[in-house]
Amino acid sequence: MNRTALTRAALLAASIVLVSGAPAGAQDAAPTALALGSKAPMATTKMKTASGKNVSIADVKGAKGTLVVFTCNACPYAKKWEERIVKLGNEAARKGIGVIAINANDPAVNATDDYANMVTRAKERSMKYAYALDATSDIARAFGATRTPEAFLFDAAGKLVYHGTVDDNCDDASAVKQPYLANAVWAVASGKAVPVAETRSIGCGIKFRAAKSAS
Amino acid sequence: MTQRPSLALRALGIALLGFTIGACAQKPEPAPAKTAEVRPLDPAMLAFLAVPPDSLGKVIAANAGSKGTLVNVWASWCQPCRYEFPEIVRLARAYEAQGLRVVFVSADFAEDLPNARAFLAEQGVDWPTYYKVGDDQAFINALDPKWTGALPGSFVFDAQGVLRDSWEGKATYAAFEKRVRPVLSLPALPDST
Repeated sequence: MNRTALTRAALLAASIVLVSGAPAGAQDAAPTALALGSKAPMATTKMKTASGKNVSIADVKGAKGTLVVFTCNACPYAKKWEERIVKLGNEAARKGIGVIAINANDPAVNATDDYANMVTRAKERSMKYAYALDATSDIARAFGATRTPEAFLFDAAGKLVYHGTVDDNCDDASAVKQPYLANAVWAVASGKAVPVAETRSIGCGIKFRAAKSAS
Repeated sequence: MTQRPSLALRALGIALLGFTIGACAQKPEPAPAKTAEVRPLDPAMLAFLAVPPDSLGKVIAANAGSKGTLVNVWASWCQPCRYEFPEIVRLARAYEAQGLRVVFVSADFAEDLPNARAFLAEQGVDWPTYYKVGDDQAFINALDPKWTGALPGSFVFDAQGVLRDSWEGKATYAAFEKRVRPVLSLPALPDST
């Protein structure tokens, strides 16, 4: 191929490359979630809770471990699993596992996710642990959480040992075969290894507020 | 000796010419539908089929004559899903001739399936769609092991049923369009943003 033809081909290729661009709009799959072994990010950031206190993840840290559950008021998955989460959370709190539920959703998207409804829900369900408001959605962002409900369990040394869902059957509590989160919590409470460390389920995307980043 | 135009001008001319020729050689571009002309349907007449995780691959592969498949996982109560839904329907119609097949999979619970069906009917979806049954993790892995499970989830498969792109969260028509064109062997559109 002579030089002119080669130049033309190169220029044509360059022009095609120049007009294509990165896709706009949608967020790419799987923002990096917290890796196993990590410490809880933003652990000292205070959040307002349904009981009116200001509490951080570090404040609720338990002697045996700490359970952080991203959840909300509106999501049907969160609602179906709520009774199980509350039961587990209340029991875990008695066994030395600190528990905190965090709502990172923007109530502008769904008013049911506002603070007033958090207060109501915590009372209705008799939550014996903090139900906290992530007012900037930054804590959820720092964890790499993407959906509700999504659980992060830390051991006595503060290292992430379980990340994922509550169990294998959102719709029917009586048909659960794998109570993943309960198994993980009891393993941590007795200082044992967590049998299944990472699981997934369908859930509502977290309704993040816009990030106010300086970069 | 004739005065030759500068190399820069010639390069620009050649690039523009090449691009124009390339563009003209394609099938006519689908005209983006301005307002979706939606013909609501009778919910009872819709083909709305259960799909267990191990059948998903078959659904994606059953693509006779199509070049690419967009799978969108949604739910009737999911606001971002409902928001982007008409855009995807518009895309399906606009790119059908270009070989795009859209597979909607509802992740609704059993008690909400009537709502899902009603929504599909409202949106005028006159081709078969599906609803998920069975284990969540198996379902996620059958589509994209990297998907966190957050709704809505969108997945682009090529003619061989190989996953080529995926994302979660709602998207615009323009974003969907940009991400399906590659499997349809269509050149990228000029970036309008």
